Amino acid sequence: MIRLQNVHKNYGGCPALTNINLHIAPGEFAFLVGPSGAGKSTLMRLLYREEAPTTGMVFVGGVNLNRLRANQVPLLRRKLGIIFQDYKLLPRQTAFANVAYVLRALGVDEREIARRVTSALCVVNLENKGDAYPDELSGGEQQRVGIARAIVNGPPVLLADEPTGNLDPATSLEIVQLLARISERGTTILISTHDQFIVNATRKRVIALRQGEISSDVDSGFYDAEPSAMQNIEG
Amino acid sequence: MKQLRIVKSIIIETWLGFKQSGWSNWLVISILAIALTIFGGILQVTISLQNLVSSWGSQLEISAYLKDDNDPKVIANEIKQIPGVESIEIIPKEIAWQDMQKSLHVASVVNPLPNTLHVKVISSNSVEDVASRIKLLGSVEHVRFPLKVARRLNQFRQFIEISGLALTAALTVATLTVIGNTIHLVIQARQREIEILSLMGVSPSYIKSPLILQGAFYGAISGLLAMAVLWAVHLYINPLITEQLLGFAPLVSRSMEVSILQTFAILMLLGVAVGAGGSWWTSGRYIKV
Repeated sequence: MIRLQNVHKNYGGCPALTNINLHIAPGEFAFLVGPSGAGKSTLMRLLYREEAPTTGMVFVGGVNLNRLRANQVPLLRRKLGIIFQDYKLLPRQTAFANVAYVLRALGVDEREIARRVTSALCVVNLENKGDAYPDELSGGEQQRVGIARAIVNGPPVLLADEPTGNLDPATSLEIVQLLARISERGTTILISTHDQFIVNATRKRVIALRQGEISSDVDSGFYDAEPSAMQNIEG
Repeated sequence: MKQLRIVKSIIIETWLGFKQSGWSNWLVISILAIALTIFGGILQVTISLQNLVSSWGSQLEISAYLKDDNDPKVIANEIKQIPGVESIEIIPKEIAWQDMQKSLHVASVVNPLPNTLHVKVISSNSVEDVASRIKLLGSVEHVRFPLKVARRLNQFRQFIEISGLALTAALTVATLTVIGNTIHLVIQARQREIEILSLMGVSPSYIKSPLILQGAFYGAISGLLAMAVLWAVHLYINPLITEQLLGFAPLVSRSMEVSILQTFAILMLLGVAVGAGGSWWTSGRYIKV
């Protein structure tokens, strides 16, 4: 579902990613871990074509992003769900309206919008908070609205960039467990994080980045913020 | 149906853009309306003067004196083919001679006058050209026309045209800058929505449409305001002109009637085009996929 081949990304001659080779299968759940500046966000931005690689190939859902024209980028992004650290909710719109916002822009019928939004809010256990405004919701609830918005279009791939960065450990774990449940329905999920607690509590595939390079890639791994502490607890 | 829903959604987004812009809506509309009023005023004067100059120009007459033994009707038909000719009046030499005899009490001698054609042109700038082409006809003995007047009128018309164009360009640039800045403010205020829409796969054309529509509305409202001001001024000024320029009054007054309608049409088109164009340019500059 996600494939990177010999990907390099430089910013003004300064390497942000070096020789990245990665394959994430359909329905897989993986963490992308590493300290700040390791290149996690750069890699995520390559996947939703916010950035293009300097060299190398990026495939998402079988689409070669290198060959994607600018007018095709929106079509790619409709197949992705993106979750952000800062939730990116519209403050003057209710939770329901936030989730429905993009569907309206895509011209979806109002009854269909109501059905899909209600269903997405149910998945994130916010079916009773549809009328609440973001500032009336806790951080965890706001992030769940963000997740509902990401899944409302039924995307095959979910990309979450530091989704628990602003949350306490208990709420972070709740969010990751919610994403794991969504993954069980066949959605491919890649979470970038430096939160070792959620990684270690979930025991999924862990891809570690260090100074722009993949330093390890293990199934059911765990992560220690200390370098070289990556271990495979099953190995 | 889907397209209709998208259009409805764009209109709602446009309305939200207006609401978010608050007082800056009125700022941009005021500035744009002032610019369009100045532009419209100058345009109206320019069109009126142009019409007037054209009317004067068409009054300029070329007199072509024909050689004997030529049929004036045949030559008149030949001259009619020359571009820029509006009308031709044939003055047979017998009639000219009769008139002269009546007014000057000339004795009965052999008629010395030639057949004459009075040629009117469409505009003053074609007088010289038409006259020189008539001169080339073998059947024409001599051509007379008011060369100096024609040249002066041409120079005056060119001056009006060039200064009108320069002023239009300057005001268009100023207006585009004002609209561009306002739409930039709207984009900044709506940065989050735009970012979300872009990341969720909404097309850039959808994202930009409400901003372009907002700019077009600014242009239309400003155009209407400018039209109202100019109409009031027109109603006040027209009787004064009629009174002051009694000799030219019918001509001037008619020129102004025509020009105010032309000005209104141009103001609306220009307002909408500049509003939408400025927004389109700004949104293209600041909204990237």
